[in-house]
Amino acid sequence: MSEYAKPLPRITELNEPHWEGAKRGEFLVQRCTACGHIWFPPSPNCSDCLSEDYEWTALSGTGTVYSFIVYHQGWLAGYRDELPYNVAIIELDEGVRFINNLVGVDNDAIEVGMRVEVVFEEVAADVVVPRFRPAAS
Amino acid sequence: MSLADSVLGKVCIVGVGATPQGSLPDHSADGIAIWALREALADSGLSKEDLDGLIVQPSFGGQGDIKEIGHRLGVEPRVGSNLSHHGAVIQYAAMLIASGMAEVVACVYGTNQRTNRNRFGSSVYHLGGNFDDVYGLSNPGAVAAFNYRRRMHDFGATEEQLGAVAVAQARAAALNPLAVYRQPLSLDDYLDTRYVIAPLRLVDFCMVNDGGFAMILTSPERAADLPVQPVTIVGMGAQSSFLELEHPNSMYHPSQLPNAELLWGASGLGPEDIDALYVQESYTPNVLSALENYGFCEFGTAQDWIQSGRIELDGDLPVNPHGGQNRMTYMVGWHNTFDAVKQLRGEAEEPERQLAGLETVLCTFSTGHWQSTWSLIYRGGA
Ligand SMILES: [Zn+2]
Repeated sequence: MSEYAKPLPRITELNEPHWEGAKRGEFLVQRCTACGHIWFPPSPNCSDCLSEDYEWTALSGTGTVYSFIVYHQGWLAGYRDELPYNVAIIELDEGVRFINNLVGVDNDAIEVGMRVEVVFEEVAADVVVPRFRPAAS
Repeated sequence: MSLADSVLGKVCIVGVGATPQGSLPDHSADGIAIWALREALADSGLSKEDLDGLIVQPSFGGQGDIKEIGHRLGVEPRVGSNLSHHGAVIQYAAMLIASGMAEVVACVYGTNQRTNRNRFGSSVYHLGGNFDDVYGLSNPGAVAAFNYRRRMHDFGATEEQLGAVAVAQARAAALNPLAVYRQPLSLDDYLDTRYVIAPLRLVDFCMVNDGGFAMILTSPERAADLPVQPVTIVGMGAQSSFLELEHPNSMYHPSQLPNAELLWGASGLGPEDIDALYVQESYTPNVLSALENYGFCEFGTAQDWIQSGRIELDGDLPVNPHGGQNRMTYMVGWHNTFDAVKQLRGEAEEPERQLAGLETVLCTFSTGHWQSTWSLIYRGGA
């Protein structure tokens, strides 16, 4: 396997549980223990009730493609070498939306609304990045 | 107290100034800003000693700070401040004048972002950590590309349909002496243009260039003593939306719809009263969202509505009749107010470019990622 040249996660105190969860095959997001709101990517407080008390909870890892784009020009190391590449907004079944990539599918075959599931890619030693692939129906 | 009682009809633009647009390698950003202000003062018949307000929008790269601009101008205004977006600058100036806190306010912007080779935002959404670049997300145009892809899914929009925006703006720019790119663009040319972030092509993106603009605002009473035909603010509104992807309507510019309600409600006007529309588009899909959110057409239909020259100079609703940020100049909205004033005064530089029968114009401004929107309606005369 050639060396992974794309940007790696910048681990912070705030987001570390998400990346640690990925190593165990779990897609972890924050859940407010005061009001139950869930959110991702990480933020220090609940944007619904402003509580700073939250726990990390594993989501289903299944959802749909909310929208997607295909880069034909690259600004980022690693990705520049893989043009054209896709970036998608994933909407998990629990409702959270975030940025990710689709793997195991041609860019021409991606559709808005398509069912997807998380896959955990070990991209470097001790670094696991969750990505999404078409769901096995 | 309502907006109609406090501000609307009580503030005029009485001077506008522009530098050449494009590449100004011999000028600093601050020098360009001051150049634009000299032009605006000359246009208004006022002098710098008349200013009791000076509002500056800093440019990308950290230039254009009020302390630097104010010092170089050698002025002692009652109010001197930075503000980060053009729509906020104009609205703050209007409120200063309407409240009596200041009487003559200059608004100034200059940038040498092209000469400086400024690189634009890798960060698109507000994310805790680098959950963007890990996944290859960069360039603010991604927001508009996600939007148009979703429109293609939701409403059957096509890439050909989107081309009508770039084609219309190219036609307008061809007649605009201030425009950086004046070559024609046919729909075939559009479709032959390379993708940058599909479904968006190179000509769907704003350019990066040098230039500056300035405006002088004052009260109608003071405007009456000046040699220039005033342009009056008759509508105004602002709205922010910080939920980003959490917003149910995140793909269709969520801050614009409530902004439109406030704007129409306070002004007593509606889309049928608007003769031309200026959208701070940055990316062509933003024109479609604005047409729908301000009620010029039904939600989900803008891609059909803009066809057959409807938004071109001689169409039902000219949109960005200066050529927009992908053909005229990337001046983060400042060029919109400049051109709206020139058009309302009947002073478009070339006769073919002058819009006929123009009375009322809507300008809408947004941050690059849509979090905040400001809109203004201008009418010719006091
Ligand atoms: Zn909460």
